[in-house]
Amino acid sequence: MMENELTYWVALAHTPTIWTKRKNEIIVYCFNHGKTIADFFESENFLGMELKQEEHNLLMQTKNELANYAFLVEELLNQGYSIIPITSNEYSQTLKTNLKYNAPIILYTKGNKQILQEKAIAIVGSRNANDRSLQFTDNVAKKASSEYKVVVSGFAKGVDKQALDSTLNYKGQSIIVLPQGITTFASGMKKYYRQIIEGDVLVLSVFHPKSPWSVDLAMARNSIIYGLASEIYAAQSDDKGGTWSGVTDGLKKGRIVYVRMPEKNEKCANMTLINMGAEAVDMDGNLIQQKAEYELFGIESSVMAESTLSYDTLDERIIELLNNGEYTAKQIIEILHLSDYNSQKLSQRLSKLDGIQINKKGKTNKYSLQPQKQPEQLSLSL
Amino acid sequence: MNREDAEIKLKRVFGLDHFYDEQWEAIRRLLNGERILMIQRTGFGKSLCYQFSATQFSGVTVIFSPLIALMRDQVKALNNKGVSARYINSEQSPEENSSTIQDALNGKVKILYIAPERQENMEWIEATRKMNLSMVVIDEAHTISVWGHDFRPAFRRIINLVKLLPQSLPVLATTATATKRVQQDIEQQIGGKLTTIRGLLIRDNFRLYVIKVHSEDEKLVWLAQNLNHIEGTGLIYTGTRVDTEIYAKWLVANGINAINYNAGHDADTRKDIENGLMQNRYKCVVSTNALGMGIDKPDIRFIIHTQIPASPIHYYQEIGRAGRDGKPTTIILFYNESKDENGIAEDYKLPIAFIDGARPSKEKYLKAIEALKQEPLTERGLMKATNLKQTQIRVIKADLIDQGIVREVVNGRNKILEYQFGAKELDTQSFEDLRIAKLKDLDAMMGYVNTTKPRMEYLCKFLDDDNNVNYSNCDNTNLEKLTVAFTDKWQKNLSDFRENYFPVLEVSETSSKTHKPSNIKWSINIPFDNKIDIYKNDQLFGSFSRVIDWDCFSPDEREFVEPLLESHLVRKSHIVNGVAASYYGVSNVGSALHRSKYENGGDFPDFLLRLTLKAFRKTFGNTRFDWVLYVPPTHSGDLVKNFAVKFASVIKVPISHKLVKSRQTSEQKVFQNGWLKQDNIKDAFSYLSPEEINGKRIILLDDIYDSGATMKEIGKMLTAMGAETIVPVAIAKTVGGDI
Repeated sequence: MMENELTYWVALAHTPTIWTKRKNEIIVYCFNHGKTIADFFESENFLGMELKQEEHNLLMQTKNELANYAFLVEELLNQGYSIIPITSNEYSQTLKTNLKYNAPIILYTKGNKQILQEKAIAIVGSRNANDRSLQFTDNVAKKASSEYKVVVSGFAKGVDKQALDSTLNYKGQSIIVLPQGITTFASGMKKYYRQIIEGDVLVLSVFHPKSPWSVDLAMARNSIIYGLASEIYAAQSDDKGGTWSGVTDGLKKGRIVYVRMPEKNEKCANMTLINMGAEAVDMDGNLIQQKAEYELFGIESSVMAESTLSYDTLDERIIELLNNGEYTAKQIIEILHLSDYNSQKLSQRLSKLDGIQINKKGKTNKYSLQPQKQPEQLSLSL
Repeated sequence: MNREDAEIKLKRVFGLDHFYDEQWEAIRRLLNGERILMIQRTGFGKSLCYQFSATQFSGVTVIFSPLIALMRDQVKALNNKGVSARYINSEQSPEENSSTIQDALNGKVKILYIAPERQENMEWIEATRKMNLSMVVIDEAHTISVWGHDFRPAFRRIINLVKLLPQSLPVLATTATATKRVQQDIEQQIGGKLTTIRGLLIRDNFRLYVIKVHSEDEKLVWLAQNLNHIEGTGLIYTGTRVDTEIYAKWLVANGINAINYNAGHDADTRKDIENGLMQNRYKCVVSTNALGMGIDKPDIRFIIHTQIPASPIHYYQEIGRAGRDGKPTTIILFYNESKDENGIAEDYKLPIAFIDGARPSKEKYLKAIEALKQEPLTERGLMKATNLKQTQIRVIKADLIDQGIVREVVNGRNKILEYQFGAKELDTQSFEDLRIAKLKDLDAMMGYVNTTKPRMEYLCKFLDDDNNVNYSNCDNTNLEKLTVAFTDKWQKNLSDFRENYFPVLEVSETSSKTHKPSNIKWSINIPFDNKIDIYKNDQLFGSFSRVIDWDCFSPDEREFVEPLLESHLVRKSHIVNGVAASYYGVSNVGSALHRSKYENGGDFPDFLLRLTLKAFRKTFGNTRFDWVLYVPPTHSGDLVKNFAVKFASVIKVPISHKLVKSRQTSEQKVFQNGWLKQDNIKDAFSYLSPEEINGKRIILLDDIYDSGATMKEIGKMLTAMGAETIVPVAIAKTVGGDI
């Protein structure tokens, strides 16, 4: 990727109204035709790609603004920000794998980009976290740092800040995922200046560099935090708000989320999340495997109520999961915590679903999405 | 558009019948969305290429130009032709620049000139996100090459910008001076599909002379004798700012209508002198090479250098400003070939010093890097943290940014320098390479001085302009050599001049206020004890001797100005511009001071007292004073005290020893920049009997005047005690920190 293509990348990334998924389709289209994004914009008819009239108009608008984006890109590079397109080797492989076509087109960063290539965990939780949650965060950050895993957090108050500070305290590395544009983070840049220039902190944003903080961006950032990490730890969640929607969304997408097992009368929604399918962990972040262990915490192993699943249909959850690869029915039951299904029952259900194919491996069947739903080229090009 | 149609439009808008072939070639390609590098001599008509093209585009053409004078001239000319052109630069007020930006955003501007430094300006950067841009032009494109003779760090950003611009946006880079090496460098930096159009560089109307002399005096004498015999008006380029002042004063003393111009002047003064040059108000303007680049005056009839430039490219560029009308033009270069005890020619020293002093030592770079590893700093913060001069900090900053070691980040209204993660080690090899290249260029300039070949041929060959042209028109071919007739009479003229020429200590303060309804800015400055200058929109409205003649004012004006004067007297320091006996480095004054101060040479010699008294009497001879005060020394020592006692007794004004230090300070010269000097002496003085000061007129003596911070600080304190006037007097004024 040539630096002089960045203008086109940034222009595409900030073209309004078109979904990220569609933009990634454009990128894959260019790749499949052996062309660059620059070629896409400079060609007469967008390389002949089939576009809706509305998309065509929006992209024409962007084309007319390319020179303006050049000024923006120059300004950012001059100030030492990095701009990493999704096709770059510097882009986080984990993020791409986790988010697929919903992975952001570009990352804006400041600091040690190499951190993006390391194994990472995310620690999330409430802004008004209690002491146990903060202690839990500290323990998990300590463990991660000792295992040379990067800790991803969102730079909010409470758990986020604790995750960052603990990581740095234990000489670990951290990614701060901003709920705002990267140029609007001056105070944080100043506060973590030493850690940034010494390579222990990477500041990352996927939004327009000039965007101020907003609730929408804070929410949208959650999927980036989850996407950057291969393990997700939730210290404390209320029954609404950022952590809640982040974790439930993660579960919906089939991610494994480790939630701190709460104390008996603790005011939080951790247990609800565990009941919804999150994995319970102890204060050190270790998995609590057995029902017996649940009982050690003095909590009844409540059966997951069907109602908690009502926020989504089972079929959607299964398809989300199969996005990640192929699984046996038994694995699907385990991962999605489908306690009222057995393999046979699930197999029947799977066979009725559109877009799912059965791969015979010896005696067992594995299920995956049909190819057109998950093009090979994506993993090649991205 | 074909050429025929284009020339019809050319006639209509610009009043010209035809393009040159090379102009049309460039325009055709620009209209086709291509990138062009155009190397053509000054006066060829490069600007028409972008001006015409710009009128054919729907959006704005942005022209990055380092030449403020050029912007002003071209904008005026374009507007007269009905083409909507504007400029954004430091000469305009922020409000004017804002309104220009707004007009550009609203599509009311076709051609927008902008100084490359503006790329740092947030308002401009915001505007670039919304402006409808059609073309980008880089004027004086040699400045984007470090191998060019005039590299400007701000242009580095312009290169980066051009690299990022969409491929189909037309870009034009122009220059009159580029060797093949610079050309290749520019081609590589601009990148993309670039076509270079290169023309002949010969200027056959130039009459080229070199006058070899054996002293600085001979240069002055030749000019005084001959300048009025050269036809028309022109420019004299000196090597230093001080020389612009000395040469101009000397010429004026000899009845030649000269004025000095340098970067130390404020924007209004510069503008006024530039206008004066355009209107032939002066026989000559004496300047550092800051003037003339881009001045659109076709009939500059002579350009004279009193010092050799750094290279033949510099020289070609600087003389290129003359004689654009193609009529005979006189070009003279002085060279003082007398040698010092080490066998080095006098006029070789200054350019060598510029080369050697171009970069601070490696230690200073490392000091700056170390400070930035600790915390992010503004430029000012970095100066304080490192105790380095501003000029040095700027060089270091530009180099560190260039090498990617630090970045300048915008934070609100501040620009903050940040060290970068993973930055490479400082690369000093590139500095050394550049130094060696510059030494080679200087040797080539010496080659011009000593060549026996046609001089224009020498310059063109150096610029890799290899053409079979018959070169002549110089003192190596058909013209007679010029020589100096130095006589005793002239020697005496010179000594008389030197003993009557005293540098001003500029410390007086100005009050300004804008009268809102009329938008007229009034300013008050009290430069000398018996003088009050009042400015209306920066034009001198009236200069009054202690009493203001209010009849010059309309009643409304008086009503506005009177309170401004009162508040000036109440709020501003009562210190006025003073005088020094000499510049520190220019005469034997500096060495005499140095012997006394640092080599145990005893009291300051009497000739210093005589000279100082002379300087004082010339400016303040008619004023009555109440006290002589002197600046107390940093360490022990009575040099200034003894000097002040003698001074006071001669002029018969009582001396006071009550000005003392209220806390220990360091010697000002330890501090390399103004911020630290100010901090060092802030609130450091007191006066033991403040009641003695009220209503009094005071002479404040010191030996060496450097930044003026000490005098200003004491002036402020004495003003607060009710002093009516404070007049600073020094033995020597330094030039750019030469102690």
